[in-house]
Amino acid sequence: MTLKATFIGLTAATALAAPVLAEYPERTIELTIPAGAGGGTDTSARKLAILLEEKLGTSIAILNVGGGGGSVGASQFMQAKPDGYSLFATWNSPLTTVPQVQDVAYSLASFTPIASTSETAYTLCVKTDFPATTGAEFLDELAANPGKYTYGNDGIGGTMQLAAERIFQAKEINAIAIPFGGAGETLQNFLGGHVDIYGGSISTVLPYVESGEAKCPIVTSAADVPALEGASGLEALGLADKETLLWRAILGPKDMDPAVVEKLANVIEEAVNDPSYVEFLATKGEVPNVVKGEALGARLQSEYDALAEVSKALGL
Amino acid sequence: MEFYTNALSHVLTFGPLTAMIGATLLGVFIGALPGLNPVMAIALLLPLTYSMDPLVALAMVAGIYNGSMYGGAIPAILLRIPGTPASIATTFDGFPMADRGEAAKALKIACWSSAIGGIASAIALMTMGPMLARVTLFFGPAEYFWIAIFGMASVAVMVGSDPVKGMMAAVLGLLIGTMGIDNLSGQARFTFGQTWLLGGLDLIVVLVGLYALPPVLQLAEKCDLKGLSAAQLKLADAPFEEGEIRGLIPTWLRASGIGIGVGILPGAGGNIAAFLSYNAAKNASDDPSSFGKGNPQGVAAAECGNNADNAASMIPALALGIPGNVVAALVLSALTIHGLQPGPQLFHQNPTLVGGFMMEMLITSVLIFALGGAVATRVFAQFQRLPGVLLVPTILILMCVGVYVINGRPVDLWVMLIAGFAGYFLEKVNFPLAPVILGMILGPMAEQSVRRALLISRGDPTDLVTRPISAVLAVVTVLVIIWPLVKMMRRRRRAN
Repeated sequence: MTLKATFIGLTAATALAAPVLAEYPERTIELTIPAGAGGGTDTSARKLAILLEEKLGTSIAILNVGGGGGSVGASQFMQAKPDGYSLFATWNSPLTTVPQVQDVAYSLASFTPIASTSETAYTLCVKTDFPATTGAEFLDELAANPGKYTYGNDGIGGTMQLAAERIFQAKEINAIAIPFGGAGETLQNFLGGHVDIYGGSISTVLPYVESGEAKCPIVTSAADVPALEGASGLEALGLADKETLLWRAILGPKDMDPAVVEKLANVIEEAVNDPSYVEFLATKGEVPNVVKGEALGARLQSEYDALAEVSKALGL
Repeated sequence: MEFYTNALSHVLTFGPLTAMIGATLLGVFIGALPGLNPVMAIALLLPLTYSMDPLVALAMVAGIYNGSMYGGAIPAILLRIPGTPASIATTFDGFPMADRGEAAKALKIACWSSAIGGIASAIALMTMGPMLARVTLFFGPAEYFWIAIFGMASVAVMVGSDPVKGMMAAVLGLLIGTMGIDNLSGQARFTFGQTWLLGGLDLIVVLVGLYALPPVLQLAEKCDLKGLSAAQLKLADAPFEEGEIRGLIPTWLRASGIGIGVGILPGAGGNIAAFLSYNAAKNASDDPSSFGKGNPQGVAAAECGNNADNAASMIPALALGIPGNVVAALVLSALTIHGLQPGPQLFHQNPTLVGGFMMEMLITSVLIFALGGAVATRVFAQFQRLPGVLLVPTILILMCVGVYVINGRPVDLWVMLIAGFAGYFLEKVNFPLAPVILGMILGPMAEQSVRRALLISRGDPTDLVTRPISAVLAVVTVLVIIWPLVKMMRRRRRAN
């Protein structure tokens, strides 16, 4: 019995010591998505998984673990083995925003950053008859009328609301946040005149900017967004350090083999820059953005700190 | 007209046609298996369709969506297990019909009603889509609040003989609906420190437990070792008697109208449409007490109502770019992947694709006539021939698989089990179960809407009744509550 146990122990040790990279990946990879099937994160991860399957030469099984704004999936995933066969495709909010408002079991240290994939800015839009058109005019109008305007957002303490409040705090603006279930619902209430300002993703509101029903004075990225002519990036308003984006990334559990991380990061970079994926991203108003390994870790940390500051000021 | 003839010529080709037939069949199966739902099936299929001809991809979406709305009725009628939340109302009269040996007739009525609701809805989408879409914009949080309250008023018809127990069941549903993160304050409620409760309890998990387990346990109690013989099944075609169809027409018209009306409002769904249609049919009937005891009108109203919601729910998605439910969101994402931009310009941008999708919604509804009945009687009803000792574990396994794949977490199986025992117990003490589910669906909608409305009005409650549409909805809600009472009093006076 003891002999057998020793033997098993030895075999296991040899298996662990053997170079993982040479054969990696040799079996199915499980990709956890912390959202239900069908949402933005889900569709972009599934599309990317198809490309990764080709490039890695293995199959990828997708597991949707929704709930809690992504925190349920993240908590479940952090317990996975760091062997490279469990990966996590998420957007930034479960890692940097949700922990500000919920007691979660994980922290940034619970994950190994592998690579970010794509990003997009949020925008604030108003009806065409709104008494301000440029970004500077818009912020002045809001600052001059505290408590007068309502803005729809993707949920209280969500990334979109924090993105807007970071700008508002810098300009001492008081606008009333009305949380909705998502950009579609916000758009419906904005078009129907139930809220004054649309706050949400660019692609959702774009058709109405093109049809002349809405105008967007501001985007939450530092740079301007080519698709939204007339919208000021934050840099032009002197608020470059208040940039908040929606972005997506692939991570692993903590303590992954650096060689596996590097291999995955490179394959992800290739897949993201595949013309078919770039085209797919464009339909969602997103652009490829690959930040790998430790640089990604630093990006997560700095965003976490900035959002901690704003949510503290909001009393969330 | 040219818009549709042109689209039709593209739809009636080999690829889309095969996809529609295959997907409608698949949809019926998905709907009929408790736990599996169309959203999941479409989400799984969609990435595979990115490289396909878009009309084939959309044909699959249309088929699965329409097929599954009907499929839910099959176990609802045969076993009293609703396959989808939208088929709860079908169990009220469908199962009593099956119980007295009219399963074939009930299935036939469900099949016809689903097809007719789907066709009416597709026609509404094709003819009035953009116009109806604009109407939905007038509905803000105050109006949604009244719609939720209006839906809750229909609890009154579901409570059966004991209103107090019905109210208690509804309150239980409302309480369960408050669990999880509150969208408006970000606070977690009733989660007891459990991370998995942050998202609240999943409606489908609770539904499967609450509704599927009690009938399964009852089957087990019978300890049936033999099953039914083919002769006992009584599935011979049950032709409509003369005048029967004419009797159902008013119900179909009413339920189609309600289904379309609920469908165009983003956020309200097929389950609400089915309850409201059922309620309306009962209110309009000369003999409301026959509902719940196997009245074919009840099956017709519920099934027509939930299918009439389908194509209509695509109206705000296609015409405004506002998806009203997850299926509509998936259709939008399929369209954008093929380079289309949903919204006011969509109908001009690519008429073949948009018109084609609408034709596909119509054709898959018609296909239910042809495929639905056969699938129900030739395949699913045959399950009843299994002896209880085989049928019970088979259903249990299907339930577990269905529930597990929703969120991929084992804890949901426990939730299902607990909900199941709760349902079994509640039935034993004569509590109706439908109000529990209705409370879970409408409670959060009513609560969030009223709080949003008050945030927008800066705390002024008069806004809830002074906006023109909210005022109308408030009055209608009060009338719906009072109407059965007035009818009852009139009948009593006549009897005196």
